Amino acid sequence: MASQLPHSRESELTRRQLLKITLAGSALATSGIVFANWVKPPALQARTFIGKANSYESDLVPTLLGGFQELSVTPQEIKGKRILLKPNLVETRPDALHINTHPRVIQAAVEAFLHLGAKSVVVGEGPGHRRDALQILEEAGLADVLYEDRIQFVSLNDMTGYSQPNIGRQTDLTSLIFPDIFQEIDWIVSMAKLKTHHWAGVTLSMKNLFGTLPGLYYGWPKNVLHHAGIHESILDITATLRPQFSIIDGIIGMEGDGPIMGTPKPTGVIVMGRDLPAVDATGARLMGINPYKIPYLSRASNWLGAVNETTIKQVGESIISVQQNFELLDHIEAHQGIRLS
Amino acid sequence: MNKYYWDPYITRILALKLEDGGFVNHCIRKYRPDVTAWAILLLNSLSSTSHTTVIQQARTRLAQDQQPDGSISISPDQPQAIWPTPLSIFAWHGSSSHRQYEEQAIQFLLEHTGLHMEKKDGNAVVGHDTSIPGWPWIMHTHSWVQPTAMSMIALSMNGHDTHERVLQGEQMLLDRQLPQGGWNYGNTTILGQELQPFPESTGIALSALSGRVPQTTVQQSLNYLLEELPRLRTPISLCWGVLGLQAWNMAPLSTENWLRDCLKNESRYGEYDPASLCLLLGTMMPHGGIKSLMVSPESIYSIA
Repeated sequence: MASQLPHSRESELTRRQLLKITLAGSALATSGIVFANWVKPPALQARTFIGKANSYESDLVPTLLGGFQELSVTPQEIKGKRILLKPNLVETRPDALHINTHPRVIQAAVEAFLHLGAKSVVVGEGPGHRRDALQILEEAGLADVLYEDRIQFVSLNDMTGYSQPNIGRQTDLTSLIFPDIFQEIDWIVSMAKLKTHHWAGVTLSMKNLFGTLPGLYYGWPKNVLHHAGIHESILDITATLRPQFSIIDGIIGMEGDGPIMGTPKPTGVIVMGRDLPAVDATGARLMGINPYKIPYLSRASNWLGAVNETTIKQVGESIISVQQNFELLDHIEAHQGIRLS
Repeated sequence: MNKYYWDPYITRILALKLEDGGFVNHCIRKYRPDVTAWAILLLNSLSSTSHTTVIQQARTRLAQDQQPDGSISISPDQPQAIWPTPLSIFAWHGSSSHRQYEEQAIQFLLEHTGLHMEKKDGNAVVGHDTSIPGWPWIMHTHSWVQPTAMSMIALSMNGHDTHERVLQGEQMLLDRQLPQGGWNYGNTTILGQELQPFPESTGIALSALSGRVPQTTVQQSLNYLLEELPRLRTPISLCWGVLGLQAWNMAPLSTENWLRDCLKNESRYGEYDPASLCLLLGTMMPHGGIKSLMVSPESIYSIA
């Protein structure tokens, strides 16, 4: 992946802001004033788009293009870029629309990015449980779409990788290994599904990044990450990889015992944004879940992105207009006490 | 089907050979021990003397990165990722000049397990017995179905079929068999919900258990594969499913056609990765079970 940070992220400090803070800190430190108690970094700001889409049969490209426009993703920014879409594909059952990112959403994203002038768009995934990614493509209904539109798929599990120092340092892992293809990609787009999760509480665009790490090095399941800590691993991967964009398929989500054995929850939304914690916080609120009760989101707040509702400018639909309480189960520890009050 | 049918595929595999004898993956030309082992298994199964030198060079390359404890990891900078060890044993098997490497790898498997924890009564989080030792994909993580089954086969073919570790592996696989039949990656239930089986895990587990347990013990798993196979046309699921059924002499008559359809499906998916292609070509040979991939079976050229 090209190493540059996302273009003009509103959630990040500018170099000028950083310089001001640093200089102020130096001056105050030499004058004996305690810097840490005096200057708080400004709250990170973000924008998140919610688009309505009632079915997978509707034309989703205008919805995505509308979202790009609201989020200031311009043709000038995308022109010539190499895009990798990372859907959430797990073990599935034929015709189960609530488990995986739906093929029509992926197809629409390919079309939308090409419309904006992307040089190439590939789909890449490293499923957590199965080595046979092609069979998952078939069962998820994605193989037909990829074949029809001649869209390239890469199995991230079976790709050799390159090591990056772990920037997050929330786990004991000193480095993370990402697939080699990321070095040839400009934008990574996490395309998650709106789901509850029996270990993490929710699975959205940040948890979806588990699938970027090759099984060659992490196993099937990616047990290295489980032992290192699920929430901590989510933070480390996000901090180190810094994906540029997120699109969540919430047209039909999953409630109850997600990410696989839960039940369908038609929600009729697509959530998009540049700031992954903000997108996930919005996704959680849409499900009637308090993002601050999800450990990885609480810890990401104002570090990896915006989570506080007052710092997220909501464009498109409002949360309240599309919010539905997803079922949470009493016997699942990660579901306890996370309901938005 | 004559030899000319296979030649383009064999040529494709040979094109992935590096000067030092190792093989690379098709898209990124980095040495891969797993691909090297699969290439050795395929070329060895051709029973053609024309590949003898290539096979021996590849075996030697595989040995080059053997770690002091006897394991083979996916790359030297990731020493914990030891899952290619049983594959390497398959690849070295039958070569007297590589016997010492094979012995060290066997010793590694006999001396190491995954991470295990006491099974607590009433623990409803996971359904399986977490205390039964098997083998992990990555050191210091839990044991899972596929590496355990592969390690059992590697040890059994080297005369350790009654070793305590193999017996433990057998016990672990039976404990992880799903109540409805089949295996997935290695969890049976989570929070009380029974999970779904996968053909590839089921096939590998059935190969490892062949000749070890009565058929009735795995009948539901065999039934699962018999039901699934007609709709599978991707190499990993189909081939391991076929191998698992062949190990129990239960492969349907249509198997050969399904495998050919799978090979033709490269027009749909693009070229298969070399490990999958080797697995597929190897499975298309006439005799059953994963063991047939390891000990020079009848030449595939002899298939009429």
